[in-house]
Amino acid sequence: MSKKTILIVDDSLTVRQQVAVTLKSAGYQTVEARDGKEGVEAVRAHAEIAMVLCDLSMPCMNGLEFIETIKGDAAGPPVPVVMLTTDGAPDLIARAKRAGAKGWIVKPFQTELLLAAVRRIAGDPG
Amino acid sequence: MPGDSDETRLAAMIAQCVAELLTELKVPAERLTGARQPPLVGESIAAFCGFGNNELRGSFTLLGSSKLFSRLHPMAPSVTPRDLTDWACELANQSVGRFRNRMFTYGVRLAPSLPQSALAEQLLLSSSFQPNRTPISFSIEGMVLEGWFDVEMQPGFQLAKNPSEEEAIVLNEGGMLIF
Repeated sequence: MSKKTILIVDDSLTVRQQVAVTLKSAGYQTVEARDGKEGVEAVRAHAEIAMVLCDLSMPCMNGLEFIETIKGDAAGPPVPVVMLTTDGAPDLIARAKRAGAKGWIVKPFQTELLLAAVRRIAGDPG
Repeated sequence: MPGDSDETRLAAMIAQCVAELLTELKVPAERLTGARQPPLVGESIAAFCGFGNNELRGSFTLLGSSKLFSRLHPMAPSVTPRDLTDWACELANQSVGRFRNRMFTYGVRLAPSLPQSALAEQLLLSSSFQPNRTPISFSIEGMVLEGWFDVEMQPGFQLAKNPSEEEAIVLNEGGMLIF
């Protein structure tokens, strides 16, 4: 059985690496994108993506626009998205929830909490 | 402190944010007082992140040697110059992110800019905000992490004395919500 694939969308290479190392150590596969636009392309190209961890503030396309775009694409339920951002403002969190986000994590992330969120939403790595 | 200007209070707030961030990164850091000029020899990195709304605008800059940012990098020691400038951006971004979250509790919403960074020999910082520039520096294992906080407020802007209870429900750094 193949491992579950998680898409990491963040304009920071270091954050993508940190998240990827954390997820791979727990048994997941990862795909990376540098902004929302690349993230949309990745979702379209990789049907196996089980979940997305997505930054909010990025060039080209931000995290909320990313959620709206993939929601519009999806024939069935859209791939679940958890925001991973420096923002903790309740109005932004509410906007993301209304847009269809499944969760919100404020950076810097705690490894165990991140993995708990991924396990809860994407399931075990497989 | 009671009686401090808004500039002083804001500078103290972002200094606290940087100190908290360094603590979470498990970096032993000691706050330095007064303006300091980092040594101009060797390769240095500067990272900038802006913030603003209709009443207030500014930026936060971090400056230090490549060696220092290599020490701060979570993937050290296998890092390239690109990794270091990227991480410097993220540190500026996370410092300003914390500051924006704290400001939100005072009812002040600030939009961020995308962080930028530069790596060069003999890097010098300059700012059009010079009169309102506050140095915020830390000593880290004998190296200096220089921070510059620039802020400009519109006449009439006043920071509330205390955080608003209504706005104080910001999700803190490291926090998580599942919907």
